[in-house]
Amino acid sequence: MNNTSYKTRALLVFLTAGLCLISGNAGAEIPGITGPTFNLSARADCIYGGDGLGILIWGYADGDNRGQYPGPTLLVAEDQTVVINLTNIDIPEPVSIVFPGQVGVQATGGAAGVITREASIGETVTYTFTASEPGTYLYNSGSHADLQVEMGLFGAMIIRPAMGQQYAYNDAQSYFDVEYLFLMSELDLRIHDAIAFGQPYDTSTFFPVYWFLNGRNAPDTMEENFVPWLPTQPYNCMPMMMPGQKLLCRFIGAGRQSHPFHTHGNHFAIIARDGRLMSSAPGSGIDLMEKAFSVGTAPGQTYDAIFEWTGEKLGWDMYGHQQDRDEAPTGNFPGPEDIDHDGDGVFDEVMMEMHEYEPDHGKPFPVDLPQNQDLTFGEMYNGSPFLGGEGLLPPGQGGFNPMGAFVYMWHSHTEKELTNNDIFPGGLMTHLMIMPHMMP
Amino acid sequence: MKVQRYKNAHLILLSVLMMTWPVMAAVHVQCPGDIDGDAVIDVPDPFHPSNACLHLGAGDGFSIMADGTEMYTFGFSNLTGVPPEMAMHHGMMAAQIPAPTIEVEEGDEFYLSLTNVGMMMRPDLFDPHTVHFHGFPQAASIFDGMPGASIAINMGASLTYYYNIVEPGTYIYHCHVEATEHMQMGMLGNLYVNPAQNNLPDGTDLNGFIHHTGYTYAYNDGDGTSYYDVGYPLQFSGFDRIFHEKHLAVQPLPFAEMADTYSMINGRGYPDTLLPADDPSRPYQPVTSLIEATVGQKILLRLSNLSTTDFFTIRVLGLPMRVIGKDAKLLRGPTGADLTYNTSSITMGGGETNDVIIDTTGAAAGTYFLYTTNLNFLSNDAEDYGGIMTEIRLN
Repeated sequence: MNNTSYKTRALLVFLTAGLCLISGNAGAEIPGITGPTFNLSARADCIYGGDGLGILIWGYADGDNRGQYPGPTLLVAEDQTVVINLTNIDIPEPVSIVFPGQVGVQATGGAAGVITREASIGETVTYTFTASEPGTYLYNSGSHADLQVEMGLFGAMIIRPAMGQQYAYNDAQSYFDVEYLFLMSELDLRIHDAIAFGQPYDTSTFFPVYWFLNGRNAPDTMEENFVPWLPTQPYNCMPMMMPGQKLLCRFIGAGRQSHPFHTHGNHFAIIARDGRLMSSAPGSGIDLMEKAFSVGTAPGQTYDAIFEWTGEKLGWDMYGHQQDRDEAPTGNFPGPEDIDHDGDGVFDEVMMEMHEYEPDHGKPFPVDLPQNQDLTFGEMYNGSPFLGGEGLLPPGQGGFNPMGAFVYMWHSHTEKELTNNDIFPGGLMTHLMIMPHMMP
Repeated sequence: MKVQRYKNAHLILLSVLMMTWPVMAAVHVQCPGDIDGDAVIDVPDPFHPSNACLHLGAGDGFSIMADGTEMYTFGFSNLTGVPPEMAMHHGMMAAQIPAPTIEVEEGDEFYLSLTNVGMMMRPDLFDPHTVHFHGFPQAASIFDGMPGASIAINMGASLTYYYNIVEPGTYIYHCHVEATEHMQMGMLGNLYVNPAQNNLPDGTDLNGFIHHTGYTYAYNDGDGTSYYDVGYPLQFSGFDRIFHEKHLAVQPLPFAEMADTYSMINGRGYPDTLLPADDPSRPYQPVTSLIEATVGQKILLRLSNLSTTDFFTIRVLGLPMRVIGKDAKLLRGPTGADLTYNTSSITMGGGETNDVIIDTTGAAAGTYFLYTTNLNFLSNDAEDYGGIMTEIRLN
């Protein structure tokens, strides 16, 4: 590795660091509103499908803000007394909220509905409960739910444990470095059109054509949080981490369909289901933890999973350290990067990266890659197979991955759901970006 | 150091020579120890003592559904052993449903060369292809086959994937280019990794379970939990007849309307599932799903769902199912808790795999049925008594 490319790498480090400061850390914390008292409203508004189509929705909103899809993520601390005041602004039927996984929910105000108290236009209903169990939860309308949930009246609630902000539960094994929400929903356009035009609708012939992560279709899932052109879909779904970090996935099935969510890159460890630790008994830790590369999130279900990735045992040096080391075994192909900097007759030792798998250090890339004219390049390919690397690409190719991150698609494996109203690609899909560590 | 270098001189020369290959956009298999480019190891390479090689073609073809309908497909073909100059010829119009089954061993260095042979029936398309080794642990994006994140191979050229195989289990593979389309069209296959535990010395005591030469396991369980006598991969998938017909007719593809009408195990609907392997009446659907065993044997079913549209629940009538693995992991907690379970049904979404062991000890000889309890998928398009069903025959 010559000095020029060191400089380039250093520049990239600054770029990466800068981006982490701007977006990485911000994205690593799930955006939402903090309680314990929430003043929510329910109101009609409009979202945009991944194809740009405007669609009428009914959304929960934070106070006087616009309705959003999904509703505001409610961030609560364990043992807090949570008070949620819900005012119906303009939904032409009574609305409410139910809190699956919570016990002792008290409802006051409004009028009695079938399963909870509900608010007609201009009315306010209040729900109170103690956030006794940390975890990942769904909240949604308990009124005429087949229509109202379809229309968008749902959201996520996260109860943070007493153990600390970096834990999902009161268990040391639930530690995470970064966390992301994966709230899955789908939308039957005919129902929304019928409501918009005052026509009869039928929720029994459900036929969705849009599938969402955190209320956005791909590729909008990968835009920043709170972009101004998606004013009612504030939440992105753009997981980012560095090798060796623990990434907590909070999966929620918010719609009517089950979605088999698949993570490229590695398995994840399922640590909780429906807000309860995978544990056989208190004090026995997460002893029922399962590893999987897909989770069939059913309607109303939540899962918490910890994803880790170091790239160990690839059998080649993913950082591109091609220098021979001073000690055996070597067996490396000599290449332009084999440089003896200090002139002592042996190739210089190259420092290990953080979390690098030692036996792979210095192992050459195992195959010859085809030449450019034989390849189609992904927009997130940086021209190099190495983490943090860069390579020459034909004009107009690549470019969305200046840090040389490793990129993995995370998506519903019901591949039909990777479409936006008959257009591929889109839908219930995003990418994980594994960022290179900062160079020493 | 110098001596080491000198030893490698032939490899350097070889790699220099090889650098001239890709310029020609030709078929180019990379397989250490293979001299003539057919992905068969001729002289084992001491630097790669346990490598495995495979050459796949990716293109199009036709399959025959159980009701006799011919269906246009995309798929993979096995070009291993075919001289490189003949690979395009052999690979064209040879798409297999499912893709050739990949079986590798823990500890293998697996070199998979993929040649895009083009789509004969769709000369208007210039689709690249990839292999996504679905579930490969600690994957690098360059070999992950996700086209947006890395590279895909164009027509008339080859790309070699490298996998250091370290985790045994039941995986799957498929093309990930325009995934909804290419997977609906059939670019799906079985893939599993045998554990190192199979190769233990005779008489090894696995916590009370005595291993003998020839014993096979699904995982390195350390106690015989995943022992089996006969193993079968069963991959569930489906074709939407209209989607395939429109594809062949060069029409806009109906993504939103996609609904599978032919549901299949290993690329065949019942009763074709019972045809033997390589049955001449189904030249491009060579994988049988007929399960044969002797009473007292343990049957391993490597189940996977690669439907682009549906979850399936699978039932075995009259025999106990024990689920011992999911997603290429033994069902065992981090502190050793036994997470395996007995069941008579198992539900799987797309991209999920499960390992099921059927212990036939004490069962009566005869025919048992494995089928989906999503009863609408017991059909071959308009024809009933078909779809996802097969037989377990105990002698």
